[in-house]
Amino acid sequence: MTNVLLGYQPLFDLFLLHLGMAYSQWLVLRAGVFSLATVGLAAVGAYTGGILVVTLGFPAPVALLAAALAGGIVALGLSVPLARLRGVYQAIATVAFIQIVLSLNIYAAGLTGGPQGLNGIPKTVGTLTLLIAGILTVYLMYAIMSSRLGRAFDAIRQNEAVAASLGVSIVRHQTLAFVISGALAGTYGALEAFHSYALAPSQFAFPFLIAVLSYVVLGGRNTIIGPIIGTAILLILPEIARPLAEARMLVYGLLLILVINYLPRGIADTLIERARARRLSARLAKSDTAPTTAARS
Amino acid sequence: MLLQQLLNGLVVGGVYALFAVGFNLIFGVQRFLNLAHGAVFMTGAFVAYYTVEAGGPLVLGFLAAVVSAGLLSVLIEIVCFRRLRKSGDAEFGAILSSMGASLVIMTVWQWISQTQVVRFPFDTVPVVIFRFWGLRVSLLQVIMIVAAVVIVMIMAWFIYRTSFGRQVRAVTDNEKAAMLVGVNPNRTYNMTYFISGALAGAAGVLVGLAFNNINYMMGEPYLLFGFAIIILGGLGSIPGALLASLIFGMVQTLSIAYLPSGLTTAFIFSAMFLILLVKPTGLMGREEAGSLRGRR
Repeated sequence: MTNVLLGYQPLFDLFLLHLGMAYSQWLVLRAGVFSLATVGLAAVGAYTGGILVVTLGFPAPVALLAAALAGGIVALGLSVPLARLRGVYQAIATVAFIQIVLSLNIYAAGLTGGPQGLNGIPKTVGTLTLLIAGILTVYLMYAIMSSRLGRAFDAIRQNEAVAASLGVSIVRHQTLAFVISGALAGTYGALEAFHSYALAPSQFAFPFLIAVLSYVVLGGRNTIIGPIIGTAILLILPEIARPLAEARMLVYGLLLILVINYLPRGIADTLIERARARRLSARLAKSDTAPTTAARS
Repeated sequence: MLLQQLLNGLVVGGVYALFAVGFNLIFGVQRFLNLAHGAVFMTGAFVAYYTVEAGGPLVLGFLAAVVSAGLLSVLIEIVCFRRLRKSGDAEFGAILSSMGASLVIMTVWQWISQTQVVRFPFDTVPVVIFRFWGLRVSLLQVIMIVAAVVIVMIMAWFIYRTSFGRQVRAVTDNEKAAMLVGVNPNRTYNMTYFISGALAGAAGVLVGLAFNNINYMMGEPYLLFGFAIIILGGLGSIPGALLASLIFGMVQTLSIAYLPSGLTTAFIFSAMFLILLVKPTGLMGREEAGSLRGRR
C-alpha cells in the first residue's frame, strides 16, 4: 500500500505545485481581471529564487520570500497599464508580458543560464513543504473570499458599474488581486525551482499557460474548490488512462472546447449550484409557499 | 544595405498582412480573438507540402491549402464559437475554446508529421535571383509579394465592393441592426471565417516556402506576431492591420539586422505594450479599449 502511494508521490507534488499556480490564475479572474500573466510571474519568482540560491548563495527560505516579493512587485508594476485596459486587451497585454519575460530570460544568459536554463539548484522542498504551502494557499484564498475583499471582487466581476456605484474602487481592488496573485505565482515558481533541481525558460511558456487556465476553467472559476478539482482531474486523468498520456494536449484541447461550450461554469461550480437549487426547492416545497416560483428557481 | 533590408521587410510584411488581416477580420466581426488562427495557418503549410509531396504541382498545393484552411476555419467557428455566441461570457470563452481547437489541430498534425520538420523539395520554386539598382530579389520573394498583393486585393474587393462584403461590414458595425435589415448573421460568419482561414492558409504556404521549415509548432510565433500587428493597427480594422503588417515586417527585419540578436522579440513585445499603454486603439482602431463595461 505504501509502495503504491510512494509511486504516486511525484504526481502529488506536481499537483500541489500546479494547484498554487491555478489559484494565482483563479484569483485574478475572480476579481474580473482578464490576465494571463501567472506563468510569466511564476517565471520571475522561479528565477529570482533560483539565482539567489545558486549564484548568490542565499538560504532557500529567504530566497522564497524574495521570490514572492519579486512576483508581487512585478505584478504591481504590470497592474498600472492593465488598469487602463479591458477584457481582450488585458489578455493580449499579459501574453506580451510572458513573451518579454521569456525572451529576456533567454537573452540574459549570464544571469539566468539562457536557453540551457539554470541548473544545480539544491533540492530543499519536499512533499511536506508543498503540502503546507497548499493548505496555507487554500486557507488564504478562503479568508480573502469570505471577507469584504472577496465580496468586492465578486461585485466587480459581475458588474463594474454597479460595483463602482456602491463605492467599491475598481482599480484598487483589481490591483490588490493582481499583486496577491503575482506574489502567489512568484512563491510557487520558487517552490518549483527548489523542488526540481533545474529551470528552463521554455517551462514558463504557452503550454503551461494553457494547462493552468484549463485547471481553473474545468474546475470552476467562482468557488474555492474549483481549482482543486480541475487540477486533480487534468493531472490524474492521463495517469489513469495510460494511452491518454500520449495525447495529453489533445485531451486538454477537447476538454477546453467541451467545457467552455457545455459546462461554462466548470464542474465544481455547476455541481454546487445544482445542489443549492435542489436544497432551496426542497425547502420551499416543505413550507408550501408559492410552489410555482420554487420550481422555476 | 538599408534599402535591401527594407525590401526584405516589405516581403515579410506582405505575408504577415495575409495572416493578420484574417485574424483581425474575425475580431472585427465577432469581437472574438481566434487563437486557433495560427493552427489554421500551419494547416495551410502542411496541406501544400503533402500535395507537392504526392506529386501535385505547387499551384494545386496552394489552392488545396487555401480551400482546406478556409474550411477548417469555418469548422472552428461552428464547433467552438457558435454556441458561445448565444451565452453571455463569450469574450473569455472564445479565447479558451479556440485555444482548445488550436491544441487539437496541432496534435493532429504532430501525429501526421510524426513530430518531424518537413521541407518542400529543393526545386519547388527555382532559385532565380534578379538584380537591379544594387538590390537582390529572388523569384520566391517576387512570388510572395505578388501573391500577397493579389490576395489582399481580392479580399478588399470582396469586402468593400460586393453585397456580401457590405453584409460583413454591417454585422461588424452592429449585429442587431444588420439582422433587422435582413442579413443572415450565421451565413455572414461562415463566409468571414472562410476568408480569414483562406488568407491564413495562403500565408502558411508562403511562409513554408520561404523558410522551408514546416512543423506542428510553426503557428505559435505567427500568432504572437499577429497579436502585435493587430494591436498596432487597431483591433478590428482591416486597413489598420494591412498598414501595421508592413510596418511590423520592416521593423522586425531592421531590428534583426541592427539590434543585438535575441532582443528582437523583447523589443517587439515591449513596443506593443507601449502602444497598448499610450494608444490602445492602435493606428486605426475604435474607441473601446478602456471603456467601462457591464457584465462579462
